[in-house]
Amino acid sequence: MKQKTIKHAVLSLCFLLSGFLFAQKTVNGTVTDEDGVPLPGATVVVIETNDGATTDFDGNYSISASEGLTLEISFVGYESQQIVVGADSTYNASLAAGNALDEIVVSALGIKREEKTLTYSSQTVSSDNLTQARDVSFANSLNGRAAGVEIRKSSSGAGGSTRIVLRGNKSLSGDSQPLIVIDGIPMVNNRGNQPGVWGGIDEGDGLSQVNPDDIENITILKGANASVLYGSQGANGVIMITTKSGEEGKTKVTVNSGVTFESIISIPDLQYDYGAVGADKNSWSTTRGNYESGYAEDFFQTGANYVNSVSVSGGNSKTKTYFSYYNTTSDGVMPTFKYQKNNVSFKQSTKLLNDKMTVTSNIILTDEKTHNRTPSGYYLNPLVALYTFPRQMDFNDFMTNYQSLNANNVMEQNIYANYHFLSNPNWVLNKQPKDDRIKRAISSLNINYQLSEKLSFQARASYDYSNKTYEQQHAATSNPTNTGDNGRWDYKRVNDELFYADGILNYTDDLSDDISLTLIAGASIQHQQFGEGVNVTSGNDGLLFYANEFNFQNLPTNVQVQSALGSRIEKQALFGNAVIGYKDYLFLDVAGRNDYASTLALTGNESYFYPSYGLSAIISQMVELPEIISFAKIRASAASVGNEVPFNRINPQNTVTAAGAVNRNTQKPFTDLKPELIETTEFGIDVRFLNNKIGVDLAIYNIKSTDQFLSLAAPSGSGFTTYFVNAGEIVNKGVELSLSGKIIEKQNLSWTSTFNFTKNNNEVVEIHPEISGLGTGGGDAVQSRFVAGGSIGDMYIRMHKRDAQGRILLDDSGTPLSTDHMLAGNAEPDFSIGWANNFTLGDKFTAGFIINGKFGGEVYSHTETMLNGFGVSARSGAARDAGSLSVNAATESTGAAVSSVDPVKWYTALGDRNGIGEPYVYDRTNIRLTQLSIGYNLDTSTLGLPIESANISLIGNNLLYSAEAPFDPEVAMSTSRSNQGIDNFNLPSTRTIGMNLRLTF
Amino acid sequence: MRQNFLYVLLIGLVTMYSCTDDFAELNTNPNQITTESLKQNFNHVGAYFPSMLKALSGNQVMHNLNNDSWVKHYATPTPFVGGVNNTTYYPRWIDQYWNRIYGSVMAPGRQVIQIAEEGGFDMFVQWTKLIQILGTSRLSAYHGPVIYSNYGSSGDVMYDSEADLYNTWFSELDQIVSTFSANTDYVGFKDFDASYGGSVPHWIKMANSLRLRLAMRISKANPSLAKTQGEKAINDAGGLITTNADNLMLSLYGEPFHEVTICFSWNDTRMSASMESILGGYDDPRASKYWAPVADASLVADHPNFPYKGILNGAFLASKALHLPYSTISEDFKSASDRKLIDAAEVHLILAEANLRGWSTPLSAQGHYEEGVKQSFAYWGAGGVDAYLANSTGTPLDYDDVVETGDVNDFTSRITSTVAWDAAGSNEDKLEKIITQKWIAAYTNSIEAWVDHRRTGYPKLPYNYKNDSNSDFGIIAADDFMKRMVFPIPEKTNNPSGYADAVSKLGGADEIGTRLYWDTGASNF
Repeated sequence: MKQKTIKHAVLSLCFLLSGFLFAQKTVNGTVTDEDGVPLPGATVVVIETNDGATTDFDGNYSISASEGLTLEISFVGYESQQIVVGADSTYNASLAAGNALDEIVVSALGIKREEKTLTYSSQTVSSDNLTQARDVSFANSLNGRAAGVEIRKSSSGAGGSTRIVLRGNKSLSGDSQPLIVIDGIPMVNNRGNQPGVWGGIDEGDGLSQVNPDDIENITILKGANASVLYGSQGANGVIMITTKSGEEGKTKVTVNSGVTFESIISIPDLQYDYGAVGADKNSWSTTRGNYESGYAEDFFQTGANYVNSVSVSGGNSKTKTYFSYYNTTSDGVMPTFKYQKNNVSFKQSTKLLNDKMTVTSNIILTDEKTHNRTPSGYYLNPLVALYTFPRQMDFNDFMTNYQSLNANNVMEQNIYANYHFLSNPNWVLNKQPKDDRIKRAISSLNINYQLSEKLSFQARASYDYSNKTYEQQHAATSNPTNTGDNGRWDYKRVNDELFYADGILNYTDDLSDDISLTLIAGASIQHQQFGEGVNVTSGNDGLLFYANEFNFQNLPTNVQVQSALGSRIEKQALFGNAVIGYKDYLFLDVAGRNDYASTLALTGNESYFYPSYGLSAIISQMVELPEIISFAKIRASAASVGNEVPFNRINPQNTVTAAGAVNRNTQKPFTDLKPELIETTEFGIDVRFLNNKIGVDLAIYNIKSTDQFLSLAAPSGSGFTTYFVNAGEIVNKGVELSLSGKIIEKQNLSWTSTFNFTKNNNEVVEIHPEISGLGTGGGDAVQSRFVAGGSIGDMYIRMHKRDAQGRILLDDSGTPLSTDHMLAGNAEPDFSIGWANNFTLGDKFTAGFIINGKFGGEVYSHTETMLNGFGVSARSGAARDAGSLSVNAATESTGAAVSSVDPVKWYTALGDRNGIGEPYVYDRTNIRLTQLSIGYNLDTSTLGLPIESANISLIGNNLLYSAEAPFDPEVAMSTSRSNQGIDNFNLPSTRTIGMNLRLTF
Repeated sequence: MRQNFLYVLLIGLVTMYSCTDDFAELNTNPNQITTESLKQNFNHVGAYFPSMLKALSGNQVMHNLNNDSWVKHYATPTPFVGGVNNTTYYPRWIDQYWNRIYGSVMAPGRQVIQIAEEGGFDMFVQWTKLIQILGTSRLSAYHGPVIYSNYGSSGDVMYDSEADLYNTWFSELDQIVSTFSANTDYVGFKDFDASYGGSVPHWIKMANSLRLRLAMRISKANPSLAKTQGEKAINDAGGLITTNADNLMLSLYGEPFHEVTICFSWNDTRMSASMESILGGYDDPRASKYWAPVADASLVADHPNFPYKGILNGAFLASKALHLPYSTISEDFKSASDRKLIDAAEVHLILAEANLRGWSTPLSAQGHYEEGVKQSFAYWGAGGVDAYLANSTGTPLDYDDVVETGDVNDFTSRITSTVAWDAAGSNEDKLEKIITQKWIAAYTNSIEAWVDHRRTGYPKLPYNYKNDSNSDFGIIAADDFMKRMVFPIPEKTNNPSGYADAVSKLGGADEIGTRLYWDTGASNF
């Protein structure tokens, strides 16, 4: 052993020395494309010595080489060039655009494949485009960058969760979120609790814990066809994050320092002229007063987001290292809000055994703290009293003196009405603080071994661990609807763990001159345990003896301290994939996977197989096409994916209650449960024109989800309370179109543009014969429901009752009558567009912007309905100014026409939580300038500092939008499948403007 | 070396696949308790009883806004759902108590009976049945026919007609009482029985009292069966609940009394106008045990010596805030730890009526009447019962809803009866006194008072001011009351032929105005 080590050392030394046997010199040059535009980031490698370098922003490189050695210059999307070093020291290279044949993309499991062989649609977003905007939640930056991707961000502020759906909602019971993968390995993206119409606070998701500056690029695999190798968890598509690695050559240090300022765009229109009658909580006086105004808007502050990061990368031909540190601090628009994140990453890869083995390890550490994330909904939401404060009262006094010492020597909340929705905003923010903290470590090891020229083996393992604490301390005298006498304590401390390992054999061979073969065979195991820990919520039972002491010792005996376990699932899989190529222009791709899922244990269905088939043909190589077409490919694929059911559904046991008794499980056993099934077909074309300057990619898909796992209430007489079925069918059909073009490509000016179009039609074909629909959130006035024949996202709202002529019907007292809940719209858009642009002007200026548009679909503002009820909506003020309201109405009993109604009667009937929501359903259509950035490269050569480049940019997010709705329809109350399209006292949408400085050394 | 490394990896990957054996274990939640584990200390039969007992009494949308409102004990200041809801005879909350009884009493009970039968624990089988009879007899008071003897069968499940239900319950009670009587020293219930500490003789009294209650329910529908069963209960050697020490008290298991949360945390319940009228008119010392006096004396200007103010059930409510200053429940309930389900006052007052009906009873009608009132006073810790029983002049007050304008919500009391027993009075007069006292005593446990009100028409309660009943669920006349709750809507789709059968057994439309079996509409005597 020892001898071997020595031998290795000696050999290595010889090998290293061999480089110096030649006369070394520094060669340099510029790498450009055929039009002379510099290519930054191109790779220059000395083939014989394996030394490498990359070009800088201006396309320049410099490398040590000696005469007679060969430089290979390559850049993604271009044809490589080899140059033999001669006597000169300058070697410029002009690379011809590749005909896209050689583009390498990352496919499922992190396997790199030539794009031409892909039989499905995938789209890649580069890090520049992701981090340009310096959005604290980088996932939002995917918006508009790729077709088929629906993004909605939570209204809760910085670090809030993001709803991502690829190609439509596919499940009746799940939320259709895609799998998130880092460097080929699944990562946990568990979302915390989400608010509903009644209240609650977003608890973020897992994606926000990634450092956006660590991302090299993100590839989106939209359909099951692409992700079948990930098995069930890839059924909703995959977001594949590839992280940065160290690069050969000089150690590079990059520093980013940015600040953005965040401000609200608008709040609902309010009146400040009419106060309350007496001590009423509602402002329904009809006598105009001269009251303080505008305080609701003034309450919000200008938030500041500071994003600072540093990364160090470097390496030699054997070892490459990347290290980064990232820090974000955000003060949101809501006073007291604070979000802080620290992130450290370390990635290293080493080549061993004559470069046949590559070992890569990666560690990502994150500490994320959030203080007072803003709630939505009625309960414990500072916005309710902020907006509806009775107008004749003194708001400043209310806010300043939000507490006072009461007779029991306890600080007591100052609130003008005992009403379940009302709390003093300053009390909620200061005396009911909500703190979330997530500490996370993701570590992975990847060993790749080239067994022979044709055969390689890869083994990977990853462990993703987070410790999550969610706590809210409600001081005594917080709203009694939610809080007990001495206060209330909500505390949850849980761990999420995911262990993943796989082994993959990769065999590549040319069977003949015409036929190539790539075979992949592998096995994986994934063991996950989520939400394991302890959970306490003392609710109305409050705290034991001592006010405002929040700990286990002070819990009343009837409050359970619960051992929590969200889910525990083990999945094992065997998978294989064969790609057979014919003459390099026709490719057949066959993949299959067999899953073994612990959640299906005892059903006999725990092992299940599903296949995918695809074909791609490079037409441009098969037949002669007009010269204008430089590349044309068609592709078709079909896949099916099984999906396991949730944890602990087959054979649940009994629960111990707070009383120490046992609740007997009364779920009907379901022993022939099957996995859910998603079947998809996809057809696409990829055509490029004018020497690849213009590209068109069109995809058409059809996704059918069946055998959905549903929990139903058992018939009363059956002896059980619930039972499960495999039932239902959902179909998503859609079109995705992506146009990309290098519109201007001059030495001094370039403009590249990508336009994405997405249209998805979702239909719930069938649910289950025994149920008319599935409720998925809402409150009294609005319900979110899945109904057969409808589609996911349907909203049911109380409407005006009308006669045959369409007149609004009133009862005998003149109060408008309402219908029961009726279908009022769907939260999903008919189609969406995203238009992203990047410009360079000279070598100094860069600029970029994105315009996003959503067309069709509906959203509902329950806030407006509530503001009517409280008598504070601007329209209720205007109507009182006018003395009456003109309507086209009729009295139901007599049919007599009514043209004018009393505003108070009208808006109180429309208002409140059971009000008529019809007038507040809005078209979701909106067009916005999502992002704008302007960058300037400083000339660092004259500074005399060791700075290689310096870039300063001005950035703006969510700068402008036009929409009919009085709130931002793209900001969601909940990022789960529930309550889509509903606004109920959500935090107003914000815009951010700021700057960023990037230095590289 | 590298070869070895590779082999290790490969072998590792292959061996992963030999370990799907632990899948079943992985898929169970270790924080749940298995039947196997419960066998320790023999908890596998008994551990479910506290949950089943606890389920017998429900919460706001099961009682407070339903029977408690229809029988006019508590009233809500809140105009729920635009003021149109169960309290104004338009059902919004229909199946909550139904689901509670089937979900938390019948479903686990069925499994517990199976476990107990397998293990030879016949006492537990009988105890479960007793709890199921109590639960379903309370539920049947809402809907009429319910699913009982066919419970747990597959396919569409047929309901039991009410006549069949009472026969089945009586014969099951025969079995329960005989098993219990043969095992009076059985100690197996002890750990699971927060009500009687496992005392079987107490459960026998409870079973006899339940039989007596059910017999009185059918006293007009089937007088001879009622008398036979009533006398069987009276004559059983195990006895009846005749003193408060024997009351069936349901533990709250550490939770607050529901009405405390509803009243003080949610501000959704207050004293009823009927309580104000009857307790005020009779100068009832229990008033201070039931309710808290108002802070604002102007609310009680018409009876300053009785500082309690109630809300009319089925009132017009302009806004919630308006009636919040009315009387809350007594603060004493904040320390309540249990709730009565069958008590000595109820039993004595049933016996008083039984005597009027010619059943042989231990005491005279007057004896049981006065003993019932005394037991109630004792239960609530109220003094002055003798003076109270002697009051032959006080009659219930007329009502003025002082925060509403004009005569909105106001009523004139229809009750002219007084507290003092009048031996010369007619049976009808006597019955009115008995049932009126039964109504007062039933506070906090009002299902049986709602049965009595429909069965006998007493007390002569005020009518709703706001009546939103319509053809959707059936119409209640302006001078009438809610007769029943419709069957749960899901039954129509989940159990269509069972539902059709239930409607035919109901003997009328599935509406809120259809009379139940024991509500014959005929004269009381």
